[in-house]
Amino acid sequence: MIWVETIINGVLYGGLYGLLGVGLALAVGVMRVVNLSHGEFIVLSAFLGVSLVRVVPWLHPLALLLPVAVIAFCLGFGLQAVLINRVVTRPDPFAGILLTFGVAVVMRNLMVEIYGADPRHLQAGHLAQASAGFGGLHVGVLPLLILALSVALFTALQLVLTRTRFGRIVRATADHRDVVRLMGVNPGRVYNLVMGLSLALASVAGMLLAIRASFTPYSGVERLLVAFEVVVLGGLGTFWGAMLGGITLGVAELVGLRLDPNAGPLYAHLLFLVGVLLRPNGLFRART
Amino acid sequence: MTLLEVQALDAFYGDFQALFGVTLRVEAGETVALIGANGAGKTTFLKCLVGLIGSRRGEIRFAGEAIAAAPAERISRLGLSLVPEGRLLFPSLTVEENLMMGGLSRRPGAWSLARVYELFPVLGERRRQWPDQLSGGQQHMVAIGRALMSNPKLLLCDEISLGLAPLVVDQIYESLGHIRAEGASIVLVEQDVKRAAGAADRVYCLLKGRVTLHGQARGLGLEQLSRAYFGT
Amino acid sequence: MTQIRWRALQAVAGLGTRRPGRVYRWSIVAVCVLAVIVAPWVIGEGAQRFLSEAMLMLAMAQMWNLLAGYAGLVSMGQQVFVGLGAYGLFFASISLKVAPFWVLPLAPLLCAAVAAIVALFMFRLREAYFAIGTWVFSEVVSLLISKTERLGGERGVGLPTARLVDPRWLEPLTFWISAAIAVASVFGTYALLRSRVGLGLMTVRDNDVAAASIGVDVWRNRFIAFVIAAAGCGLAGAVSFTATLYVAPGFAFDPNWVVAMMIIVIIGGIGTLEGPILGVIIYFALRETLTVVFGLSAGWYLIGLGMVAIAAILFEPDGLWPLVRGRLGGDWLSVRREPPTPPRIAAATAAAAGVRSSPHGLGATPGDR
Repeated sequence: MIWVETIINGVLYGGLYGLLGVGLALAVGVMRVVNLSHGEFIVLSAFLGVSLVRVVPWLHPLALLLPVAVIAFCLGFGLQAVLINRVVTRPDPFAGILLTFGVAVVMRNLMVEIYGADPRHLQAGHLAQASAGFGGLHVGVLPLLILALSVALFTALQLVLTRTRFGRIVRATADHRDVVRLMGVNPGRVYNLVMGLSLALASVAGMLLAIRASFTPYSGVERLLVAFEVVVLGGLGTFWGAMLGGITLGVAELVGLRLDPNAGPLYAHLLFLVGVLLRPNGLFRART
Repeated sequence: MTLLEVQALDAFYGDFQALFGVTLRVEAGETVALIGANGAGKTTFLKCLVGLIGSRRGEIRFAGEAIAAAPAERISRLGLSLVPEGRLLFPSLTVEENLMMGGLSRRPGAWSLARVYELFPVLGERRRQWPDQLSGGQQHMVAIGRALMSNPKLLLCDEISLGLAPLVVDQIYESLGHIRAEGASIVLVEQDVKRAAGAADRVYCLLKGRVTLHGQARGLGLEQLSRAYFGT
Repeated sequence: MTQIRWRALQAVAGLGTRRPGRVYRWSIVAVCVLAVIVAPWVIGEGAQRFLSEAMLMLAMAQMWNLLAGYAGLVSMGQQVFVGLGAYGLFFASISLKVAPFWVLPLAPLLCAAVAAIVALFMFRLREAYFAIGTWVFSEVVSLLISKTERLGGERGVGLPTARLVDPRWLEPLTFWISAAIAVASVFGTYALLRSRVGLGLMTVRDNDVAAASIGVDVWRNRFIAFVIAAAGCGLAGAVSFTATLYVAPGFAFDPNWVVAMMIIVIIGGIGTLEGPILGVIIYFALRETLTVVFGLSAGWYLIGLGMVAIAAILFEPDGLWPLVRGRLGGDWLSVRREPPTPPRIAAATAAAAGVRSSPHGLGATPGDR
């Protein structure tokens, strides 16, 4: 029974991992730049959540998801407009990752200076402990909520990309950034919006993760690796693949923790390495 | 009136000069053919017109406006539309979405989704398919339709017959007639001299970045064209 | 300084736009070797330690530069070899009960072996994915060691066998070995790049598809570079931790190792041999200035360095060395090869015949295309 529960909880948290990764997948798919500061923005959102909670203590942290997401959107927009857009047109494929790596180093150490290195936690009150019973199984209410939110956001993202004018423009820009200029589209502006969206999604994941586990300014590295593993396992740029990748990782991690409480993210990482060895193009190949 | 006027255009890819003092004009309602061998600079020239080449020198006037220094995004709104070499359709978009992208900076005019489907009925049948599911000729139709959706005053066609069977090319060139009938002027870039000269009013020939020949399509003999084309 | 003064200075210093002569070069080498040998008696322990750290950092940066600047492989997990070298040395020394310096060669060998295996699956990933994949591998190794009590677990292990070395010689030996490693890293890389493998590497870096099409074995060249870089980092890591007499996963596999390597190479000049040397100077100068002179905490110097690196990528992606090179006149460690001189026959014949060659011939005058 306890294994079934573990697996179910793994699936539920997997939705969260998928959310961690989908923002990165969006940025990688559209701009071909792996934003190495993605993890730091995830952690920054959690810190922002902690700071805001102090300002409005009577508001439940989940209600702060939206304001933090808006702030993250603006930061992403700015990051792309001011820094990343300058290197996107360069033929060198490493300029982007080196640049964002520099941003990550600066952000990480700034957060240490500003917030200190102590572990923090986003309190969700009794919601974090509540569990619902389904025919003998006990499943956390919070994980259920998180999964529901993840699925909702994924679905919304898919709908925006496939059914709206903006989504069409984004996909076209991802395909041929020069040809869209012939249709009056400014690729730089599209990238700004996409990066904003990417970090907004990351911020939601960041806040939700902070409710589940404590974090420090150094947690960004781990978040980035998870996001990245989700993207690669899912198939480099597909979204539902990222969700499935996240679920696979979530299950692997929780099952691993049951077997081996000291493991941390070891089993998730091992799964990733094995996955890469066997299927470098991702476990779930779908049409991009 | 002169729709397009190009004076002494030089174009560079980094240090490499691709065009040398190209001078050319297109009158409203005309079809002008630009012929030349591979690497002569025809595609470079078209890219200069639509603003995709960074380093260019010289004068380009379109419908009275100077566009030599204008960004590509602005030029498309003025009524200049390109069917790129190699089609360059958006693989992540369906046929219909590709066409709709063309209509983003649309100007008032006769062309719409419905009219494009009238011109190329097979596209209407395949509107929800992906470009890689279409044949070469059908992809060319999508590329042309996409360029038409903005109702351009001047349509630039880069090698629309490349890689296609003669019958399909006939179909494509037939559609040019309908396009002309709606009032658009056309610049046809082709390696196939006969086709291009046959469909055009005037012909320019490029060799290694320079204009080597220019005149009425009807008046040009085969020998003249060969010399200008090959430089022998 | 005005142009004239610069030229005068260059003339006096014997530097010019031609490469320095042989005697001149060898005498510089002799002076440097002498200085290194004598140093431990001249400078204090603190200074020795600082210089050892700087020289080991230079070696690591050269390795990262070899990968990123010449082989086209950006590795963000290079710290795994730093750590594995250290752990390898510690446990070899402890289990064989010999002084650490005797088993030093085992560290690079271990890392080379691990790198060979890692390459088999990491090389399936391209570019950014390779970069992060190596990072994941490093985290896995770190976690595995943290969980293994026999390897010291999270707390790590000390180096009791260091007592087998006379304490008066510990610091000087570390200093000399670090200097040797730094020199070997620079000249070893130079030798590698001037060899056939090096030429192959540079074609792969510039355009791997084109390289493959002319028969360059892309995979093999990259593999060699990856293994060598791993060995180099392993050796440097082993010496580095011998000096601190303690190793733990948190320090051994700390990503800040590769952060330092990257910043040094990016600021100094990626894809050049002199770049990392310049980068190390700037890195340590900045670090000492910010922490000692301004009294800022360690975090601030990383912030400062990160911002300098960002500025470098945006505005001087080739690093600062190309700017300095222009000023000093002449490459010191250039691995560029001279192109073969073009045949002068056609031009000479045409000139002799007094005829202007055709526009498509070799003797064409400029502008006559």
